[in-house]
Amino acid sequence: MTLIKLDDVGLKFQVRRAGRISFKDYLLHGLFRRSKKTSFEVQALENINLTVEESDRLGIIGPNGAGKSTLLKLLAGIYPPTSGRRKVVGRISSLFDIALGFETDANGWENIMYRGYLQGETPRSIRKKIQPIAEFSELGDFLNMPVRYYSSGMKVRLAFSIATAIAPEILIVDEVLSAGDMAFQTKARERMKSLMSSARAVIVVSHDMKSLELMCDRVLWLDHGKMRSIGPAKEVIKAYTQQNNQGEKRQAA
Amino acid sequence: MTGYLSSIWRLRHFWMALVRIDLRKRYRGTVIGIGWSLLQPIAMTAVLCLVFSQIFGQSIREFAPYLLTGLTFWSFITAVVMQGCQSFFQGESYIRQHPAPLAIYPLRATLSAGFHFLLGFAIALVFVWCVKGFGNLPALVSLVPTFMLLFVVGWSLAVCLGVANVMFQDSQHLIGIVMQMLFYLTPILYKPEMMLDKSPHFAMIFNYNPFAMLLELIRKPLLDGELPSLWAMGASSLFALLVVCAAMLALRCFEKRLIFYL
Repeated sequence: MTLIKLDDVGLKFQVRRAGRISFKDYLLHGLFRRSKKTSFEVQALENINLTVEESDRLGIIGPNGAGKSTLLKLLAGIYPPTSGRRKVVGRISSLFDIALGFETDANGWENIMYRGYLQGETPRSIRKKIQPIAEFSELGDFLNMPVRYYSSGMKVRLAFSIATAIAPEILIVDEVLSAGDMAFQTKARERMKSLMSSARAVIVVSHDMKSLELMCDRVLWLDHGKMRSIGPAKEVIKAYTQQNNQGEKRQAA
Repeated sequence: MTGYLSSIWRLRHFWMALVRIDLRKRYRGTVIGIGWSLLQPIAMTAVLCLVFSQIFGQSIREFAPYLLTGLTFWSFITAVVMQGCQSFFQGESYIRQHPAPLAIYPLRATLSAGFHFLLGFAIALVFVWCVKGFGNLPALVSLVPTFMLLFVVGWSLAVCLGVANVMFQDSQHLIGIVMQMLFYLTPILYKPEMMLDKSPHFAMIFNYNPFAMLLELIRKPLLDGELPSLWAMGASSLFALLVVCAAMLALRCFEKRLIFYL
């Protein structure tokens, strides 16, 4: 069964040239700046054709800025395609930017609730999950503290524990495992494995070619927002590594 | 439309939790806590009463609840408008992580403003009760649909301005000025009669200012024990309908694309 289908999808960003215009700037230059072009366009994705079937394990690779994370966000429904069509059947759970979006004045317990609610839990259903989540995060008494005092590692622990507490249908992951201390990373990897085996489909972005080759059957290589190639994990990863090695050699020479 | 509303309803635990945080955050680390919300309108009413009852020659028993309702109403409108402007920026980290109906972020702003409005209104109610007692129950019951109307207007305004401010960030400054001007064009500090005696042309402004109409819906039943005029009811409902349509249009055009401008 086809779970995800992207049909000639493109995504064009409007990027503002400057940050927010301050009130002073608005008074001083506002009128003149308006006349100049205040934004430019970035073609982040172009001509993406992709189908994800039941029990697919798809990896996405490519250099920084190739559009990998953008593609994930588009798959998750956070970005709409600006051209082409996106069709999704099933509930998507996504793991990216997970350390963002905490209410920093609330404590760990409360944040578990809020995140849970956002993922569609109810007060009753979250009550059963809150203890396992707390245990998995191993944050103990820190959970009684406002999140504003958490270190970034602690935030990732908490976020990961919440996000993975609900069994996903379609799982979309963006290199979450790179944070947290060693003990937690091992644990997180174990949990990811079990999630991946239970999910109906998995899409993962990573720079870790070894684990990608183990996890995925298919790999998509993105370059400058375009599909460079897609196929069996081994072949695509081999081609990608080769190209990178050549680049290194050329630089060395 | 119903699909959209039901998806908002499904996330109710989420936005209600956010509203609770907002209310708590406001008084984090203070001793009186929510007392400040009660004290602020009372103090403002007291000082304005002191000054204006002299100038306008009004009795304080009449003028105090008049001012109090006006001020609470206006602080609701400004809160909705100004926080509505910021609502999508405030919810940015959620918007970037989870596809949820965007209207919940302006809703968050509206509900916390609405809470403070109800507090202020309760004070006015108690005051009127003590001074005059209640004559007319049906008139008071008319406040229930009025509050619903006010909520719908507030939410829609917050949505419109939230979208406008993301697309064009000068909106918040512009709207700040407009709100200040409207404050004086709406009978909040003075009674319409005081103005009309001196300059009858102002009737135009009072009759076509939707905020003046909404305010009449609140004041008439509470202060005079009468049902508001049909004109006020009709005009406010029409205004509500207009802003709801504007909000729906704004969401229809920008809901999906908004994230590109955050």
